[in-house]
Amino acid sequence: MDILIYGTINSIALALMALGFALVYGISRIPNFAHGALYVISGFVTWTFLRALHVNYLLSILLAMIIIGAVGALIYQFILIRVRGMAISEIIASYAIGLAILEALRWGGFKGMTYTLPVFVEGSVTLSGIPVDFHRLLVVGIGGAVVAFLWLFTHYTRIGLALRGMAQDERAALMLGIDSDLMAVVAMALGSMLAGLSAVLLLPLGNIVVEAGYNVLILAIAVCIVGGLGSWMGAVLAAFLIGFAQILTVKYLGSHYQMVVALLAIIFTLILRPSGLFGQQKELEERV
Amino acid sequence: MKTKSFFILVILFASLIALPAGLALAAKPIVLGAPLSTAFLYGWDAERALTLAVEEINAAGGVDVKGTKRPFKVEVIDTRDLEPGVPVSEALLVVEKLILGKNADFIVGGPVRSEAALAAMDLLSKYKKVSILTTGVLTPAYHARVAKEYDKFKYCFRITGEAGWMVMGEMIPCLVDIGERFGVNRLFIMIQDVAHARGGGGLIAKTMPKKGWNVIGDLEIYPTGASDFSMGLLKARREKAQVILIWMDMPEASILLKQWHDMQIPALPFGSIINPAEQPGFWDASEGKGEYCLANVVNAGNAPSNATQWTMKFVEAYKKRWNIEPEGYGTSSSYMVAYVLKDAIERAGSLKSDAIIEALEKTDMMGVYGRIRFDAKSHQVIPSVDPEEGAVGTIFQWQAGKRVVVFPKKIAMGEILLPPWMKK
Repeated sequence: MDILIYGTINSIALALMALGFALVYGISRIPNFAHGALYVISGFVTWTFLRALHVNYLLSILLAMIIIGAVGALIYQFILIRVRGMAISEIIASYAIGLAILEALRWGGFKGMTYTLPVFVEGSVTLSGIPVDFHRLLVVGIGGAVVAFLWLFTHYTRIGLALRGMAQDERAALMLGIDSDLMAVVAMALGSMLAGLSAVLLLPLGNIVVEAGYNVLILAIAVCIVGGLGSWMGAVLAAFLIGFAQILTVKYLGSHYQMVVALLAIIFTLILRPSGLFGQQKELEERV
Repeated sequence: MKTKSFFILVILFASLIALPAGLALAAKPIVLGAPLSTAFLYGWDAERALTLAVEEINAAGGVDVKGTKRPFKVEVIDTRDLEPGVPVSEALLVVEKLILGKNADFIVGGPVRSEAALAAMDLLSKYKKVSILTTGVLTPAYHARVAKEYDKFKYCFRITGEAGWMVMGEMIPCLVDIGERFGVNRLFIMIQDVAHARGGGGLIAKTMPKKGWNVIGDLEIYPTGASDFSMGLLKARREKAQVILIWMDMPEASILLKQWHDMQIPALPFGSIINPAEQPGFWDASEGKGEYCLANVVNAGNAPSNATQWTMKFVEAYKKRWNIEPEGYGTSSSYMVAYVLKDAIERAGSLKSDAIIEALEKTDMMGVYGRIRFDAKSHQVIPSVDPEEGAVGTIFQWQAGKRVVVFPKKIAMGEILLPPWMKK
């Protein structure tokens, strides 16, 4: 039972970390290596509203997500758009932006381990003899809701359908009157907001530190490679695969092997199925 | 007329008082080069404490070098050696830059990571530059190397604790005391996958059975960056652990403590090194969930206590200067290093390395964390549990929002408490 409960929590956490990265790549084909930095900056922006400006917690989260969405859109509009289509340049540019954000945060004094966000609900419950805190259960609930929302959004809204159209075939989408640059901006804003959402959900479990940006980026990349770059449903399934593999590894092999799981998953995927579980870059099929 | 004369006299008198300090400031400064990982607690607290001490010393006239008053000047360069993935060579470049570029007369503080400090020893030897470590480096290999090759590494001193003493002289006696007081003897060890934690945790696991304790299973080792400790904590609960020994300097250790609290694991968390819990802001940051956590901050003065007459003066001065209590490991030792160097320079009457080494070996002064003397062979500060005898450490427990020193007994400000859910 402990494996089922904490495996699910771990998997949902990984999925939340990876969804924004998968979405941006799926639509605009840009590997957003600033994803981890956007995650961290979301935490600090929320913290600033909540602790420094004493804004209501929910409002702080909403404001932070709007700001991060805008930051993501601006990053695309002013920087990434210039290198779009040049894969190496996209990686270098986005990674440099991420580094600049993280270093700027450190330079601005956001260092140390005392920056934290409160959990949404205090307390814990015992499920089949296993104690779990309410916040982790909320992470599971909200994570599931986010996945459902994304599916509905991309299947039943005009913007969502346009995003899918672009993900499937950008040229065809252009011929149908879809503005691909605008959609890429929307995708980047949405992906950044997802990074922000995962930050405000997961950071209350620990503290907000600049170094988390690198860890989140590595985990997001691992999940996306295993799931298939660009497929957010693949990312969700890969998150469950890696999430449960990590928990099983901790329980039966040893806790120090848990980080190896994600890296091994990348290596095995690249050897056995380079396009990932649901990656269809080669086939140019539906990605979102 | 009388009023005018009075004012002239006052100005002359004030000038006479200010003159020595003014002359000191005009004289060539003695440069303290500090290679520190400033984005991390063990780096920035060292910088702050060193700055405070230097400001105090300079305000009092500076350092008397054979009749000439000279001020200290601090030059800090960020080594980034506590950051993951930063190679040791970066710290070495910093040390070299301080020596050659900033003309540092002494190297104090770091490098902070043990691996970097060990590598820097050869550099210090090459340039014959006296160095006093104050923070981060806990490896016993450092002073063992000095003792083994004294002529080559005689320039290297350490004014703070090391893992060997911390384990054998502080943690194990403290654990034994907890066992006797509360009738507990089941220990579960959770450590970070880094050299000092593996070494320290391994030594505790090896030693505690000889003290009548049951060490449950193997060491639970977590990679740096691990963010879920549920399986380990559930294992601790299942195996009926009564004390959880934690040795981690990664920020994620705060997740461990929050999980421990939320899951109400009936075991006392004993932080050998637990970086997030050391800082005064931890209580607010964890919303009190770290209550009952013990933390070793290596030297007295890093949390308020009355170890010596100087301890609370230092705590208050630090609070006044930086608006926060001394923050953790590396604070009081980085403060003391300036005073110890001042004392050695004044006795040596010179800045020459050999004269300073000789003077440092004869250092015997009462400092913030007790009597400060260096072992003449290994250049390691002599530790003790009695501040009258040597440098004392500090283990505190978070109690009702305060860091209450509970070990060593001679400087304890309170007793260890168990969390209420352990008493069920």
